[in-house]
Amino acid sequence: MSAISSLYMVASTGKSLGRIAAGLLTLTMALIVMASANQAFAHAALINTDPTDGAVLAQAPAQFSLTFSEPVSPLVLTLVKPDGTPVALTSFRLTDQTVEIDNPQALKSGTHVLSWRVISADGHPVGGSLLFSIGAPSEPPAVSEAVDWPLRSAIWIGKVFLYIGLFLGAGGAFALAWLAGDGRAGQRFVTAAILCGLVAAALSLGFQGLDALGAPLSHLVQPVIWRTGFGTSFGWTVLVALIALGLGLLSLAGPRIAARPLALAGLAGIGVALAASGHASAAEPQWLTRPMVFVHGVGIAFWTGALVPLGLALKRQTADAVTVLRRFSSAIMPVVAVLAVAGVVLAAIQVQTPSALVSTAYGRLLLVKLALLVFLFTLAAVNRWKLTASAEAGSTEVQRRLTRSISVEMLIVLAIFGVAAGWRFTPPPRALAIAAAQPVSVHIHALQAMADLSITPGHAGPVAASMIIMTGDFGPLDAKEVTLVLSKPDSGIEPLKRAATKPGDGSWRVDNLVIPVPGRWTVRIDILVSDFEMVKIEAPVDIRP
Amino acid sequence: MNKYLLAAGAFLVLGTNAAFAHITLETQEAAVGSTYKAVLRVPHGCDGKATTAVRVQIPEGVIAVKPMPKPGWTLQTKKGKYDKSYQLYGQAVTDGVKEVDWSGGNLPDEFYDEFVFRATLTADLPVGQKLYFPVVQECDGAADRWIEIPAAGQDEDALENPAPGIKLLPKK
Repeated sequence: MSAISSLYMVASTGKSLGRIAAGLLTLTMALIVMASANQAFAHAALINTDPTDGAVLAQAPAQFSLTFSEPVSPLVLTLVKPDGTPVALTSFRLTDQTVEIDNPQALKSGTHVLSWRVISADGHPVGGSLLFSIGAPSEPPAVSEAVDWPLRSAIWIGKVFLYIGLFLGAGGAFALAWLAGDGRAGQRFVTAAILCGLVAAALSLGFQGLDALGAPLSHLVQPVIWRTGFGTSFGWTVLVALIALGLGLLSLAGPRIAARPLALAGLAGIGVALAASGHASAAEPQWLTRPMVFVHGVGIAFWTGALVPLGLALKRQTADAVTVLRRFSSAIMPVVAVLAVAGVVLAAIQVQTPSALVSTAYGRLLLVKLALLVFLFTLAAVNRWKLTASAEAGSTEVQRRLTRSISVEMLIVLAIFGVAAGWRFTPPPRALAIAAAQPVSVHIHALQAMADLSITPGHAGPVAASMIIMTGDFGPLDAKEVTLVLSKPDSGIEPLKRAATKPGDGSWRVDNLVIPVPGRWTVRIDILVSDFEMVKIEAPVDIRP
Repeated sequence: MNKYLLAAGAFLVLGTNAAFAHITLETQEAAVGSTYKAVLRVPHGCDGKATTAVRVQIPEGVIAVKPMPKPGWTLQTKKGKYDKSYQLYGQAVTDGVKEVDWSGGNLPDEFYDEFVFRATLTADLPVGQKLYFPVVQECDGAADRWIEIPAAGQDEDALENPAPGIKLLPKK
């Protein structure tokens, strides 16, 4: 891909490159200003809970708390009682990254499930559950975590049609306004694509709301679904997409004189809509990713939007067919070069390590997309360097071949849209890595002493542990020595024992610790309270892979 | 007969092994309301280092402590108030030795030594239970703390650094 893009670079003509680059630069600058106002976001990861997962409590807590790696807003909080009846938890407060939830009722003994679903800033909902027991554990109630395939399919189809509307519709309107002459071949197709996109954009908002609330498709008519959908960052994508599609439609239907500015604004709108939400836009660094998504989207719209009008013009042998081809072929190379560079940058940010290409669903989708791109670029290169010159000279035979080639290109483009829409369901390796790097925290409470321990990062490998030691009733405890012991009896690994040091901020630290394997470890903290008194407290801790 | 001999032999071997790993008391049981001669056996230093100090904490209910001086070691005691008052030869005793320190000595890792004190086990001590004497063994820049007391139901053998203890027998 990079070889082809550099070929395009070399072959590109300076004049049109300069014009387009200047335009893109202006828009990019605007986007940078927009993006820098936003905070940096990734997928939120749950880092601490009270009660802890698996805790056995003497009596029902007055409230629950969930602490995440970044601010979230709760969508659905449910407490499932031991007999399986769900209770909706509606009273909660947000303080920083912690959600404090009031427990509305006295709980009977047995195992309860606190199921949570929150939305993080990239607009994607995350969910999970934790088990705790009152008195003694019982058979945990069944909580369904099944994937709602009808809804997933609807989201995917909605996304594909939104892409068709934006790229082939609004992008096509741009091609008709700026590349085509008077012929206007493909106007009906472009109009139909825009209408498809309008419907898909609106419906996608509802699907997003359903996904956010974990509700089935049948709830689509409820107003709360739409409010929730609009409340996520995807709401902005839909809003801007609707404006971009509307501008495209106006450029087709309105007066000729306004067609070009309207279509250009529509093209920019495509980029802004895509940059407003999604994995790629949420990635760090924001000043880079959002403009890159913008450029990538605009490039795709320019290229793919022109394919149908161009193909139809050639097929029908319209008077302006050669003009369309000439304008397209002179502009396409710098556009594709910029598009490819943006794509490579975004992929590098998202995937991070080559191994993630194979080991994660996101990476595998990217490989499929790359394979399709190889075909697409090969076809495009053949069209550009083998066929275009003769076709521009007026050879009808070559023009027919070019038409066929363009229709194959169209099919590949549609397949790529399908793959790209699949990313909606796969967290990128970047987000997975951030989640894995979050510290693991555990609160160990015993009668004589307690400790807040956090292990950073919370996955196997080199880590650092930090401990705050307190007396059993939250008072200060000036320990003489603190020793951290990590053991995993089922692994055959001897306990790791490290003396902690005092960095002077009231905590105890163990650096240069290596946790060799992931899984459930037992962490024990030996606290030397006085010369002759040692308190040992322990708790299980789950180390991520 | 052979079986008994074997069993006794195994017991002896295992017993001595366990005893040699930790700091222990020579006499492992004593009656309450009697005088007890505690002989702390120090089998090795801390991870190969020579022992330079042995400090023992006197548990509540053990009074009239008299440590035996040791040539080459500085003997000190720390006194304090008892939790309650005890009767000793008709007199009320409310304070006394809470800690005995032998320090400034040098006992190489490859040698063995004993540290002795005498004390009265008051009659109030719970018969049938164990009484522990936590010991801190100090070496040059390191320390082994024989201070672990098993929690209720915990196996004493599972402890890494058990405090030496004796079983309390009924008053004679």
